[in-house]
Amino acid sequence: MNLLYKSYFFASYQCDHSRSFYIDFGHKQIKLSFCQLLAIRQKLQAIDISSHFDMDLNSGGIEILSLCNREHLFVFDTLQVIDLKQLIKATFGILELNSLVAH
Amino acid sequence: MKDIVRQKIGINVDVMDLLNEQIAKEAHSSSVYLAMASWCDHNGFSYSAEFFYKQSAEEREHMLKIFKFINENGGTAYSPQVSNISHEYNSLQDIFETALDQEIQISKSINNIVTKCRKVQDYGSESFLQWFIQEQMEEENQFRRILEMFDLMGTDGLALKFIDERIKHD
Repeated sequence: MNLLYKSYFFASYQCDHSRSFYIDFGHKQIKLSFCQLLAIRQKLQAIDISSHFDMDLNSGGIEILSLCNREHLFVFDTLQVIDLKQLIKATFGILELNSLVAH
Repeated sequence: MKDIVRQKIGINVDVMDLLNEQIAKEAHSSSVYLAMASWCDHNGFSYSAEFFYKQSAEEREHMLKIFKFINENGGTAYSPQVSNISHEYNSLQDIFETALDQEIQISKSINNIVTKCRKVQDYGSESFLQWFIQEQMEEENQFRRILEMFDLMGTDGLALKFIDERIKHD
């Protein structure tokens, strides 16, 4: 597996053999198709991180994310959400760079 | 390292994001036209109402066209949420001016996506959007012609009835 990006809490990988992606959440590693990776990206983009600093909007400062058609359920705190956003952004950046190099 | 992304998706991911935003804008337009049709129906402008029902259906067709394009090319299209639809208008002229402004915003948005396509060399998406550029020019011109009728005929009761009847020919 090729490491794509490693953030403070998480890491992303690409597996050429299975043509899929992996995210290591520390306690758990999940396999993702490209479509599922897109879905995570969309869910994270939709999270308004500023709401975590507003007691009325998000008093608990947590996000509950269901991934891969509800196969996995995660609860993230503010720092983890920021870190995961960074991971996904950087992962897609590396993948774009790889496309440029490959062609 | 294999280029799995390119194997899976035929369009640029950032362009896909913009196309998804465009889906939401087309859906919003469709709903706005429906609200306009309702206003026209309630105020006795039956031909204008029919015109806006048709416009609403057209915007939905545009939305579906983009929706299918994204999915057919390996991306993920997201069904949009529609909110903030106003049902309050001052006059028939106000409605057509609002409609023209809306079409201009849609045109600008399409142009921005084309600019992005060129920047990232996504020529497939650019080619797909050419139809929308042409369509937007036609839509804008249609509303300009209708607004010219208000300039020519005025906005009194009889003129409005006459304009409404003319709209069925547009």
